[in-house]
Amino acid sequence: MSVFKVGVLSCSGEECLGGTISRLATRKVLEELKVVETVTLCLPLYLAGGKEERNFAKVFPTISVDGCDKLCAKRSTEKYSGKISGFIDVSKIIGSENALNTTIVRNKDLTDEHLQMVDKVAGEIVKMIGSISSDSFSEKSFRGCSCGNE
Amino acid sequence: MVENYAILPCNGLDKCAGVISRELAIRLCENAKNEIICPVYYRVAEAKYNKIAGGHSLLVIDGCQTRCASKLAAEKNLKISQKLTITEEAKNHNIELKSNLRLLENENALIEIILSDLNNAQDQGRRSSVETSSLINFEYETYQNSKFIFRVPKNPEVYFNENDCWACVVGNRARIGVTDFVQQNLSDILYFTPPEIDAEIDQFGEVGEIESSKSVFELISPVSGKVISINETLVQKPELINENPYELGWFAEIGLTDFESDKELLIGFDKYFEIMKTKVEEING
Repeated sequence: MSVFKVGVLSCSGEECLGGTISRLATRKVLEELKVVETVTLCLPLYLAGGKEERNFAKVFPTISVDGCDKLCAKRSTEKYSGKISGFIDVSKIIGSENALNTTIVRNKDLTDEHLQMVDKVAGEIVKMIGSISSDSFSEKSFRGCSCGNE
Repeated sequence: MVENYAILPCNGLDKCAGVISRELAIRLCENAKNEIICPVYYRVAEAKYNKIAGGHSLLVIDGCQTRCASKLAAEKNLKISQKLTITEEAKNHNIELKSNLRLLENENALIEIILSDLNNAQDQGRRSSVETSSLINFEYETYQNSKFIFRVPKNPEVYFNENDCWACVVGNRARIGVTDFVQQNLSDILYFTPPEIDAEIDQFGEVGEIESSKSVFELISPVSGKVISINETLVQKPELINENPYELGWFAEIGLTDFESDKELLIGFDKYFEIMKTKVEEING
């Protein structure tokens, strides 16, 4: 039986709070909320030419999580792996003013407000994963496997 | 403290080492004049990050052996001053990294160790810079007037002001000193008073002085920035300035703060060489 897996490709941004929230929300989904159903794809590795990452996104449903409307993760995924199954723009969820705040926040300095933002975005990611049916997995899966050898 | 670096972390999100690279980069920027280069946004905002990378020494932090950050630096033709790989650092310090993405005791301990190592390395760099040889291989043009021979470096990295002081600029630091014209005119130099380490220097501000039996000369800094090391050998052996004011008799090294602006008020070899010849002819006939 095939295991239904969704790839989550998060912005690794350092330019604004949106990047930090997108990373943390993605991690919360991967580590707590949808441990079995999700796989993280590393955006820097993906951009550097990571074959496994790119092939995974070609074969399995993948969603991007971006910190701001520059949508680096979404655009990169579409460029190298084709159509994505869904995307989240964190600035639309927490507001542009928050997302574009340029103060870099370390994990230890996160406030309750930041953590609420993380929860909100993580909730949206979970919803999106839920909306991706196993049909979409089947549709994509016949195109090859993720080993890179088709 | 590690300062004046552009820091390019891998920022990976699929392994703990990538998360450590990000945390380390942020820590290095907390209380110091360092700047982070976002490895993702760099591909969108190339001009912005090229400027940051060009104005600082570059520290590359890779999470794992895939070395995404190093590959990005190579792709962008960046000159790497220093690089480290988190997994190698963990191995060297016998620290086992967990497979999850949370930074726990071991991971935080590794970050502290690396920070400490980086700071110690920079401090050692400051101390050892006294013993290091020239930043570059100087190439000279000479001008002879009577029995006096004046050498002037013609390397493009060397800039001059009209006060007969030079700055050899490599990356975000400059080594400064006086030209042959000064040492020939002062004759035997007897004393060297260095600037204070960490002193903030304005362009054309005083940055140390030398004294001979004939007069005192204050070095007018061609560049602005912070004094990061001094040539301590000169305190005991100021005569090295007479021997070779460029390779042995340099005064100090400056961490540059705004060299792009400073450069507008400096001159290169061609112009300085002509100015110096005129000065020599005016003095010696």
